[in-house]
Amino acid sequence: MEETAAIRTRKLSKVFGTRKAVDKVSIEVPQGAFLSIFGPNGAGKTTLLRMLSTLTRPTDGSASLMGIDLREDPEAARGRIGLISHNAMLYPDLTAEQNLLLYAKLYGLADPQARVMELLEAVELKHRRLDVVRTFSRGMTQRLSIARALIHDPDVVFLDEPYSGLDPHAVDIFDQLIEKQREGRTFVMVSHDLRKGFDMCTHALVLARGRVVTFGAKDQLDFDEFSELYRSTVGMGVS
Amino acid sequence: MTNKPVKLPEAGQWPDKVAPWALLAGIVLSTLGFLMAFLYAGPVNGAAVDGVELIGGQMVANKLLLSQKIFYFHMPVALVSFCALAFACYYSVRFLATKNQRFDTCAKVCMEISLVFVICTMITGDLWERFEWGVWWTWEPRLTTYLILMLIVIAYFVLRNAIDEPERCGVYAAVIAIIAMVDVPICFMITRLIPSSVHPVVLREGGMSGDMGMTVAVCLAGLLLVGFALYRFRFRQVRLQERLQALKDEVEVLEERR
Amino acid sequence: MARKQSTGADRARAGQVALSVPSTFAQYKTLLAKDLQQEFRTKEMLTSMGIYALLVLIVYGAALGQTAQATDVLQLSGGLLWALIVFTSLLGLNRSFNHEKEQGCMEGILLVPMDRSVIFLAKATSNLLFLLVVEVIAVPLFWFFFLTTAQPGPGFMLMAVPLAVGTVGMAGIGTLLSTITVNTRGKDVMLAVLFVPLIFPLLYACASPTTAVVVGAEGYLDVFTQSMALAGGYDVIMLLVSWVLYDFVISA
Repeated sequence: MEETAAIRTRKLSKVFGTRKAVDKVSIEVPQGAFLSIFGPNGAGKTTLLRMLSTLTRPTDGSASLMGIDLREDPEAARGRIGLISHNAMLYPDLTAEQNLLLYAKLYGLADPQARVMELLEAVELKHRRLDVVRTFSRGMTQRLSIARALIHDPDVVFLDEPYSGLDPHAVDIFDQLIEKQREGRTFVMVSHDLRKGFDMCTHALVLARGRVVTFGAKDQLDFDEFSELYRSTVGMGVS
Repeated sequence: MTNKPVKLPEAGQWPDKVAPWALLAGIVLSTLGFLMAFLYAGPVNGAAVDGVELIGGQMVANKLLLSQKIFYFHMPVALVSFCALAFACYYSVRFLATKNQRFDTCAKVCMEISLVFVICTMITGDLWERFEWGVWWTWEPRLTTYLILMLIVIAYFVLRNAIDEPERCGVYAAVIAIIAMVDVPICFMITRLIPSSVHPVVLREGGMSGDMGMTVAVCLAGLLLVGFALYRFRFRQVRLQERLQALKDEVEVLEERR
Repeated sequence: MARKQSTGADRARAGQVALSVPSTFAQYKTLLAKDLQQEFRTKEMLTSMGIYALLVLIVYGAALGQTAQATDVLQLSGGLLWALIVFTSLLGLNRSFNHEKEQGCMEGILLVPMDRSVIFLAKATSNLLFLLVVEVIAVPLFWFFFLTTAQPGPGFMLMAVPLAVGTVGMAGIGTLLSTITVNTRGKDVMLAVLFVPLIFPLLYACASPTTAVVVGAEGYLDVFTQSMALAGGYDVIMLLVSWVLYDFVISA
């Protein structure tokens, strides 16, 4: 069986008023890849990510995720997407366990309780499971956010600036946790951290003014070459 | 989903060529209606005072009031405002279905036109009230529902001003426009639903005589044409502005690429 | 491209986690339970709304201290009670989406594959419950402060009907509107600007039967049934419209 691409877009565009936030982006990412999206502020990184995660409707073009057309059947696609952003998406006045149980039930897991325990163990928060999320440190909240995003075992995980507000130690723990979950999953990350984004990825996409500047597998580039290229293109977006 | 091309309203097509003539015709007809109201249509019984009442500081008894003449404008203006609201609602539905910014522009312009006519209705209504019923304001059902309608139309613009993202702004505004439409039939029917109302129900009281009907029809036709022309002018202006902005953006991008 | 089923069988990751499609009702219960759990922990909505209602009653005390006769108070009571409810529900509705915004939770919920009108129903239900609880406290207090000396009409218990019907409508429209206004600048004022005109017909149709049964004048049941029919009709239309439009609002 021919393997379907994890993400495939054709001339995907998003227009806000008269501004083209994302302009005819066509990419194809194989399953199991780690795609990092780079670009200056306002390049359309987050908009692209939000379109791929069905939170924003594209103006034009098409996109499919694991072979599911995002415009025709967003609901089916949603079941296979996990999103970790700088917002934890956790209710601060509920406990860690209550938060995860809420999502587990909404996704319709067969055994919510067992899955929640398993994940709490995985993100090393089992001892704090009865505490209210408001009392958690930023690093702990972000770890719990990983558990939340992975609760329904998604095929594609989106990371939207997941490191904002984390100290270096928390970043390390976060990376280790993500590394453990890599197997079989496709990751897409938007980050300002050029070095980190480049180290983690297998594929890189550089956007400027909503357009694709470079897209390709990492093995064709080394970091110096890449950052050179990035710097020369970034100027285009910053006015 | 959007495979078949949607026909979009655009500035500079045939309606824009018709619009100035429509405005001219509208003005002529409205003026004609104004003259007819005084010269052709006779004073009406419905506008008479029974018994003695204090109006405008004068005791008035059994007199046919000249202030009834304002009816020939009041009702057509109100009908045009309902019409504009209905179109705003129609374009809002189209916008929600297609998410095409053009329909949002149309709905917004329709709302602006309806605001103009709603305010005219309130002013003519208030003048009538003052000289027919002797008060500036009364919490009578039709008045109240119409005031509410005016507040919703104003709220529509307040809401638009409070949102930055164009698409979200369009969706929220469209939703409010559609909900506002619920108030229109209520406002229209209220004098029939609650019969104690002082507001005359023209059709219930045996309709209008020929001369009155004629005058109302002329005014209505004139004002509808004026409304249409205003809509096209405003739409053209807004649309050209949008296109100019789009061109500016494109030039900016091209310059940076160079 | 042939559409793929999203059931466990053909998932690329060979189903470590068993997923079933949960029923809409189960999701509704889960979302409602979430709101109640949250309220149970913080008691934020109920305390703020309750105290606000009490403060409004105290202001009424200053205003009504001038009326000499108990009958005057009876005539006024329906309107005053509804003014109290409108202001209190404005306060509550304003806060009902604060938690959803705080850490971007709404997006987390939107990522779950489900019918978005369930979110509307769950939120409207929780708002309705909070409002009803506040009314259960505020209405007897109103009676205690102002009406103990007055002689209400024989059928005054019937006022529960307009209260319930009006509250249902307010919770429904209010939930839709607060979803809109939570994303706007100056959201508190914005909600009032939209909410008051849109519930006005309902307010009108509920205040008059409330007054009618409290005063209990001749033929009060006629006024009561007619107004209740209007209020009920408005409820049904508005709830349907809100339900249909909610998907657009929440996705925007």
